[in-house]
Amino acid sequence: MASAGSGDEKAAAAAMITLISSDNEKFEVTEATATLSQTIRHMIEDGCTDGGVPLPNVTSKILARVIEYCKKHATAAAGEEGSSSSFSDAAFLEVDRAFLEELEEFDDAFLEVDRATLFDLILAANYLDIKGLLNLTCQKVADSVKGKTPEQIREMYNIVNDLTPEEEAEIRRETQWAFE
Amino acid sequence: MASEMPENILLQILAALDLPDLIRAGSVCSAWHEACTSLCNLGRWKQPQTPCLVYTAKSRGDSAAGLYSLSEKKAYTLALPDPPVRSMSFIGSAHGWIIAADDRSELHLINPITGDRIALPSITTTEFVRPVYDNNGSVKEYLSWPAFPMRGRTTPNVYGLSELRDIFFDKAFLSSDPSTGNYIVAAIHNPCYRLSFARAGDDCWTLLPPHDDFGDCIFKDDLMYALTQLGEIHVFDFSGPAVKQKVVLEKMRSYNADNMYIVQIPCGDLLQIWGDYDFIPLAEDVSQPRPLEEDDDFSEPDLPYAYKSHKHYATMFKLFKVDLTANKLVEISSLGENVLFLGQNQSVCLCAEEHPQLKANHVYFTDNDEFCGRKNIVRDIGVLNLSDNSREYLASPQIWSNWPSPMWITPNPRKMSSARSGSTYSKSQGTARPQAPPTSCWANVFWHEWSVA
Repeated sequence: MASAGSGDEKAAAAAMITLISSDNEKFEVTEATATLSQTIRHMIEDGCTDGGVPLPNVTSKILARVIEYCKKHATAAAGEEGSSSSFSDAAFLEVDRAFLEELEEFDDAFLEVDRATLFDLILAANYLDIKGLLNLTCQKVADSVKGKTPEQIREMYNIVNDLTPEEEAEIRRETQWAFE
Repeated sequence: MASEMPENILLQILAALDLPDLIRAGSVCSAWHEACTSLCNLGRWKQPQTPCLVYTAKSRGDSAAGLYSLSEKKAYTLALPDPPVRSMSFIGSAHGWIIAADDRSELHLINPITGDRIALPSITTTEFVRPVYDNNGSVKEYLSWPAFPMRGRTTPNVYGLSELRDIFFDKAFLSSDPSTGNYIVAAIHNPCYRLSFARAGDDCWTLLPPHDDFGDCIFKDDLMYALTQLGEIHVFDFSGPAVKQKVVLEKMRSYNADNMYIVQIPCGDLLQIWGDYDFIPLAEDVSQPRPLEEDDDFSEPDLPYAYKSHKHYATMFKLFKVDLTANKLVEISSLGENVLFLGQNQSVCLCAEEHPQLKANHVYFTDNDEFCGRKNIVRDIGVLNLSDNSREYLASPQIWSNWPSPMWITPNPRKMSSARSGSTYSKSQGTARPQAPPTSCWANVFWHEWSVA
């Protein structure tokens, strides 16, 4: 049936989206990968992705990493959906666990980046509205400040302390216990 | 770099922190400080927090509480306003607040993080306590009853001002965070482990008739689920002007037991937990951390003779899923990824996935037997692995004094609004002579039940 065939081709062609980084590099991704970003999902729904989606806030270096994340998580999501019907419950749980473990390993490795990259990833996840990536990267920053003093946190993230000595003393006076 | 973070991202990062970290992060710079303040005011800090053990130690002074953070494995010292926390007996902990009885046996809510305090209605407004006045009109003693008065006995005992709290209170509970201004406090008390409650702003306690032998309570979906020592569950609905009560689970065992707990697991189901304990000779527990000899006089434990040389020792916890529709308990062997915090605190169940420092399928316990409020007793505090009932102690050498009895608390950084905190303290108890409860009411409920037979 020729008409059905051409429909499939059409769907396959339409399912590819072009993302354009701030330095004008083009990335071809499937719609399933791209729609992990709520921002892009809305653009697709509004039909304004023809000719590519310009992302002026995201460099090619960061966009490549973001796409890597989205590809992996889109595959995992598809795998989970597909597997439920073809396995018994126990086997399904086994596959499910394997998926989750693999995904966790991927996430851990994915986060092995320098702090500048981590912050760029956070900003990109925020801009593109990719909830999973935003949670993952924010948690990484939270974990990195655990057990640290304010001085250590400032140093780690190049934060300028703009509190006056009086303000800082006032804050510390009320919460001295936490600084011991 | 991090100072240029959009505010929503900064809020999300800080909302993943446990408390000492959140407070430290709040003094990094003005943007972080504002973000922390707004999280605390709006109640959007990481909830539930990883519980900490709250305790006191003589070496830290009478007005300081210790806070042992399980997430950092580190002890902090919190300076608290008077009256000294080491003169208080801990009756309960919920929503980050300690419920404590002072040395006149009056109850207070204390948030050890913010230092906020709320005085609860006087003990003399409960059904079973009457004040005895001296010539100057001050309360010098109380009249009340032991846990199980003999049938037919018609005269109450005389108790000293600080003595009554050990006889009277068993455990207390809170419906919600009192710093929001709206809460219900409930207490299991004697005689016969009954329940009384007070709403925020009440000036007296109200007895919840007519049942007794309660062991533990939780609040769920605006209702209070009260577990009896026989495994019965009563539900109390405080939403209307009159409290409604019904029994939702029949009794599940034939004899009363200590150490019964009710808890809601993260998926919403209710669990009953039955603790099993041994009394072991102190000398046998070789793994036990050394008590702080400087703190307590262990030669004179305030206990009945038979228990003086023995220690209350948790051996196992039986877990049951509560099936309200079938009116039965279903025993389960594992908590899966969940973790329990049991003891004098309002029972808590958390998911270890959200608290990676906690051990899944373990019970973090403190003791809360009938002698819990007594002084100079070696405490049984530790972590029990539900898969093999193996135990480990929390910190060695022991960091806490044995009284007031240490308990779990989930730290809460929300301050009461300044307008409210100025006026709340001393509101209910105040300087005026406490009002005697209406004698007729006391007689009706109490004499009737105990003088017949």
